[in-house]
Parts: sequence; C-alpha cells; structure tokens
Amino acid sequence: MKKITQRVCFLALLAANAHAATIEMDVNGLVCAFCAQGIEKKLRTFEATDDLVVSLERRLVAVSTKPGQDIGDEALRTALTDAGYTVKAIRRSDEPLSAVRERVQASRK
Amino acid sequence: MQSLVAGRRAAVLLCACAVSAAQAKPIAFADGTTVMAEYGAGTMVEAQAFYAPSYRFSAGGGYLRLDSDLARRSREIEYVRANVLAKRWNLDAAQANVFVWGSLGRGRGDGFDGSRLARNAGFQLDYETRRVYAAVKSDLWESPAFSHRIDTVQLGLAPYEHDYRDLATWFVVQARRYTGEIHRGTETALLLRLFKGGTWVEAGVTDDGKPQVMAMFNF
Repeated sequence: MKKITQRVCFLALLAANAHAATIEMDVNGLVCAFCAQGIEKKLRTFEATDDLVVSLERRLVAVSTKPGQDIGDEALRTALTDAGYTVKAIRRSDEPLSAVRERVQASRK
Repeated sequence: MQSLVAGRRAAVLLCACAVSAAQAKPIAFADGTTVMAEYGAGTMVEAQAFYAPSYRFSAGGGYLRLDSDLARRSREIEYVRANVLAKRWNLDAAQANVFVWGSLGRGRGDGFDGSRLARNAGFQLDYETRRVYAAVKSDLWESPAFSHRIDTVQLGLAPYEHDYRDLATWFVVQARRYTGEIHRGTETALLLRLFKGGTWVEAGVTDDGKPQVMAMFNF
C-alpha cells in the first residue's frame, strides 16, 4: 500500500512538472539587450515555447509553454549555454507568465 | 578619381549592409547577423558584416579606408575575417569577454602601385555591467607595402540601468592611437551611445572637433 502511495505521489509530481505553466531561470552574464535578444531567439526555436520574459534587472528568463507541452531542464540549460550564458537555477510553477511580467515590472518601480 | 571609386565602394557597403566597428562585439549571439559601420573623424571609415553560427565564432567581410593626416595618403583594404570568442566570464551582474580575430585582404593605396595581400590580427577585451563599460581593442594590419595598428580604449558610463526593450543610454570616452604614419598622437572623443533592441547608434566629436559616428545592427 505504501509503495502504491509513493508511486502515485511520484507520478503526481511528474505530471505537475510536465504541465508547469512557467519555467523561470536565473541567468548569469545577462547585462545588455543583445544578450536578451540572443536568448529570446534561441528559446523561441522550441516548439513548446509559448511566450517569454527576459529581465536584465532580475537576471531572469521566464518561459511559458504551450498547453500540455514542456521543455526539459537539460534542454533549457543547453540552449542558454549555447547562447553564451550560465544558468544558475531553474524553477517551475503554475504561476502564469503575465504574473511574472507584472512582478518584474513592479520591481523596477 | 580613386577616392571617388573608394567612396562609392564604401557607400555600396554601407547601403548593402546598412553600416563598422569599434568596441562593439564582433559576435552578438548565436545564429545572429551583425552589420556595423564607423566613420572615425576623417581618418578611418570601416564597414563590416558577420554571421555567427554560434556565440563563439563569426565570419564575414569588411572594408577599411584610412586617410593619413600626416603623409596625405589613403589606404583601402577589403577583407574576409573570422572572429573567435576566446573566453567569456558570466558573472552575477557583469560579463567580460576576450575576442580574437584574423583577416586576409587586398590593400591598395597611393603610396604603392596595384594591390597587395594584407594580413590582419586583433583582439578585444571588454567588461560590462548595466552601468559601466570598458574595452580595449588592438587591430594590426601587415602587408609588403604597409603596416599599421589601431589601438582603441573606451570607458562608458550609463546614467540609468536599462532593461530589455528599454532605450539604453551611455556616455563614452574614447582614446585611439594609430601607428604607420596615419595620425600623430592620441585622438580622444566623447560619444553618446544609444541602443534599443538590435540597433546601436553612437555619435560624438573628437578633441579637434571632428565627428565620429558608428552604427550597428544585430538581427
């Protein structure tokens, strides 16, 4: 019974990650518009990318994925490394990208 | 006549590529095209276009014209170039880079007949935050008929921290020295640099009141 419960929890966790609305990445080296432009160009090559936010102030790149689609952590790390930047952390949440955008804009006021 | 032809060539390059290059990065981003042009106070005109298949490498071509204010001579070089990002440091709120490049071209000038094979090597070190920019660049050209080097140092300060899609504003102080009897002494310039999205424009004047203009487009 305990094993079944563990498996259900594990699958639930996987499912939650697979349908994460937004993926946030803390990125080092993000200092100019050209950096952001290169990262945006790279991330938009993913079929699963719906929209994204880049904040130089927060050193943050956030991607929202299309419904039912996902981009794996390794693919994201590779994409940003190939764009010339260093990913420090990746977080996934159900927060919509618009909320991330508002948070980023609020931090600038 | 020769200067007319040279002027036309420069204009064609400027129009075809939209514009050169000092202290802007020779590699902007992977799968990106960079077109740059610079008018340097009546001494230098340079136009370049590069394509970068990766963030570490770009290749393309350029045109360089130098007008000596010492010997009253002109020199033109058309070249192909490869740029390599030798090292990058991605820091928390800063980035530093070492770029190196090499070129092969044909040089013409009124100090010798015909054209000569010319070789080039250069490097650029830069450090950038959202408030401070510093760069050192050296560009050496050698041929059987001539040799010159252009050394440039830039220090930039931004009055505010820009973000992506904002207009970025920089005040830049530049010092430049030419060898090879092109210009005597150190030429200093005060520049205003503006960039937004993939467009970068820089303009100012040198200590002797001559204009300096530079533009760069990344796409």
